[in-house]
Amino acid sequence: MVNLNAVAPGGGREYYVALGLEGSANKLGVGVVKHPVVGKHEGGDFSYDCESQILSNVRDTYITPAGEGFLPRDTARHHKNWCVRLIKQALEEAGIQNAAKDLDVICFTKGPGMGAPLHSVVVAARTCSLLWGVPLVGVNHCVGHIEMGREITKAVDPVVLYVSGGNTQVIAYSEKRYRIFGETLDIAIGNCLDRFARTLRISNYPSPGYNIEQLALNCKKKDTLLELPYTVKGMDLSMSGILAYIDNLAKDLFRDNRKNRQLFDRDSDEAKISVEDLCFALQENLFAMLVEITERAMAHVNSNQVLIVGGVGCNLRLQEMMQQMCQDRANGQVHATDERFCIDNGVMIAHAGLLQYRMGDFVKDLSETVVTQKFRTDEVYVAWRE
Amino acid sequence: MSEDVLAKVYEYLTPGLPVVPIAQGAEAVVFTSEKHPYLPNSGKFILKYRPPKRYRHPSIDKALTKHRTIGEARLLTKLFLIEGLKVPKLIACDAYNGYLWLEFLGEELPHGKGFSNLKNFLWMYATDDGDPYCSIVEETLKKVGQQIGLLHWNGYCHGDLTSSNIVLSRSGKNETSWQPYLIDFGLGSTTDSVEDKGVDLYVLERAIISTHSAHAEAYNEWLLKGFSEIYKRYGDAGEVKLKEVTKRFQEVRLRGRKRSMIG
Repeated sequence: MVNLNAVAPGGGREYYVALGLEGSANKLGVGVVKHPVVGKHEGGDFSYDCESQILSNVRDTYITPAGEGFLPRDTARHHKNWCVRLIKQALEEAGIQNAAKDLDVICFTKGPGMGAPLHSVVVAARTCSLLWGVPLVGVNHCVGHIEMGREITKAVDPVVLYVSGGNTQVIAYSEKRYRIFGETLDIAIGNCLDRFARTLRISNYPSPGYNIEQLALNCKKKDTLLELPYTVKGMDLSMSGILAYIDNLAKDLFRDNRKNRQLFDRDSDEAKISVEDLCFALQENLFAMLVEITERAMAHVNSNQVLIVGGVGCNLRLQEMMQQMCQDRANGQVHATDERFCIDNGVMIAHAGLLQYRMGDFVKDLSETVVTQKFRTDEVYVAWRE
Repeated sequence: MSEDVLAKVYEYLTPGLPVVPIAQGAEAVVFTSEKHPYLPNSGKFILKYRPPKRYRHPSIDKALTKHRTIGEARLLTKLFLIEGLKVPKLIACDAYNGYLWLEFLGEELPHGKGFSNLKNFLWMYATDDGDPYCSIVEETLKKVGQQIGLLHWNGYCHGDLTSSNIVLSRSGKNETSWQPYLIDFGLGSTTDSVEDKGVDLYVLERAIISTHSAHAEAYNEWLLKGFSEIYKRYGDAGEVKLKEVTKRFQEVRLRGRKRSMIG
C-alpha cells in the first residue's frame, strides 16, 4: 500500500514545500511547490492528485545566436551566473522568508542531461542544502516531466509520449517502473528540429522548434507534400537519416543548386519548394511517426489515454494529430500541457522530488548527489504508485 | 471500432458481400466473410483492412498503406512456397486501398474455449480438467517451434510472435493432432541477421511467460526443441547457424528487450 504521508512535514506545518532546481540543458528553472497533507494519500495510489499549488515557477533560457547550438561549457556558465538570482527570485515570489524553516526538501535534476550544466546546478543545490540544513532529493528528469504532466492533467494511467530536445520515448507504467516501449534509435526529435533550424539559420528565440512550427503554418502548398524517409522500426524510430536528407535539400536550396530537380523546376528553373514547405514536410513526417508508435503502444497495453510531455509537446500540430488519432480509438483521450510545464522547469523537479521525499527516499550522504548524463527512465523505482 | 471505418469498408465492398469485424489492432482491422471475393465458392475468408489514418498527411498515408500492404502480400506469397511452412493462403490484394484477402484458418475450440489460436489452446489444457503437460500439447508446441525454425532457416522473421498470432488447425473434428499456422506478418521481414532472429525468439519467450506463466518453462523448452530440430536437419552447417542464433538469443535475453531494462 502506498502511503504518501509517511514522512511528516517539518516545523509542525500542515503542508510540504519543495524547491526544485532544473538545469539539464539550456534552461535554468527554479520552482517552489506546496503539497497539502491530505488524508486519502495514506491509503492508496493518488499520486496523480496531490492538490499541489505552484508557489513560483521562474526560468531563464540560454539563447544562442541563429545558426548556433548551445555548448555545454557556455551553458554551464550561464547557469552559474543566474542560479543565485533565480533561486532568490523564486523564494521571494513564493513568499518564503526563512528557507531553513519553511522548506522540507531541495530537489535537483540528477540526470539525464548535459554533464557540465547538470553539475553547475547540483553545486548550487548542495550549497543551499548545507546552508539551510534541508535534505536533498535527486530526481530523474524524465520522471519529473511525467509526474508533473499527470498532476496537471489528472491522467491516472496514461501512455506517455515524452518528446524533447534530448529524449524521444513512449512510456507506460507497469509494476513500479516507467517502462520504455519505444524510443529513438539515434537522435531525439527536438534535436532533429533544432539542428534543422540551425541549417536554416532561423532565430533560437523563444525556441527553434516554435519558429519551425510558425514557418510550417505559412506553407502555401500543403497538399503536395515533399517526400521524406519514413523510419518507424517496430515501436522505435530513427531520425538522423531524415535530418541528413532534409539538411541537404535546404543547403541545395540556399546554394541555388539548379541541378537538384527536386527543388528547381526543369523548364523554368524556378524554385518549386520554399523553406516553409521544408518545415511543413519535416513536421508532418516526424509527427506522423511519433503518433504511429504511440498508437502501437496504446494497442499493446490496452490503454486509451495519452499524455504528451516535453518541450516538443507544446507543438499544437502534434497535439492536433494526437487528438485525431485518439478520436478514432474507443474513448481515446489526449492530455497535454502548455509551455509553462512542457518546457523544462523547476516545478516539475520539485513536484517529483517531493513525491519521492514523501515516500521516505532522500539523500542521506552528499556522495549520493553525483549527477549522471545517462539515467534511463526505467532505472527509477516508482515507490509512489501501485 | 469507429463507425467511419465500417462505413468505408461497406462502401468499398461489392454490395451484399457480408463481412463481420473480429479484431482491431493499432494498424489494421480484421473481418471475416462467408463469401469468396471473386469466385463463386463459399466458406470462410479473412479480410484485413488498413484504414486511412486521419492524423497523417494524405500522401504519407497513401504511400505507407500501399508499401505495407504490398510488403505483407509479397512476404506471404514467398513463405507459401516454402515446403513445410504453413501460412495462410493469399487470395487477393488491393494495395492502393489497403485490403488483403486471406484464407480463414482455425475453428472454435470445444466447450466454448474460444477460437483455436495457441493462446486459447494452451489455456484449455491448463484448466482444471486438462493436463498442461500431456503429449498433445508437447507435440503441438514442438510443431510450432518447427514452423519458426523453418521461417528463420529460410531467412525470414515474423517480428511479432505471440501465442495469439499462431493459429491451430486440424483436418477433422475428431483429429487429435493440430497443425500450427503462423499469421499476421505485418511486422515481418526478409532478413539474414542473427540479431533479428534472436529478438524474434525472445519476443515469443516473453509472450509465453506473460500469458502462460505457470507452465512457461516447459512450453519454451518444447518450442526451442522443435526449433532446433529444423536446423539440425542441415548437418554441420545447420548446427553452426543454430549455435549462432541461440547464442544471440541468450544475449538478447540478458540485455532485456533492446537496451538495459531493469526490474
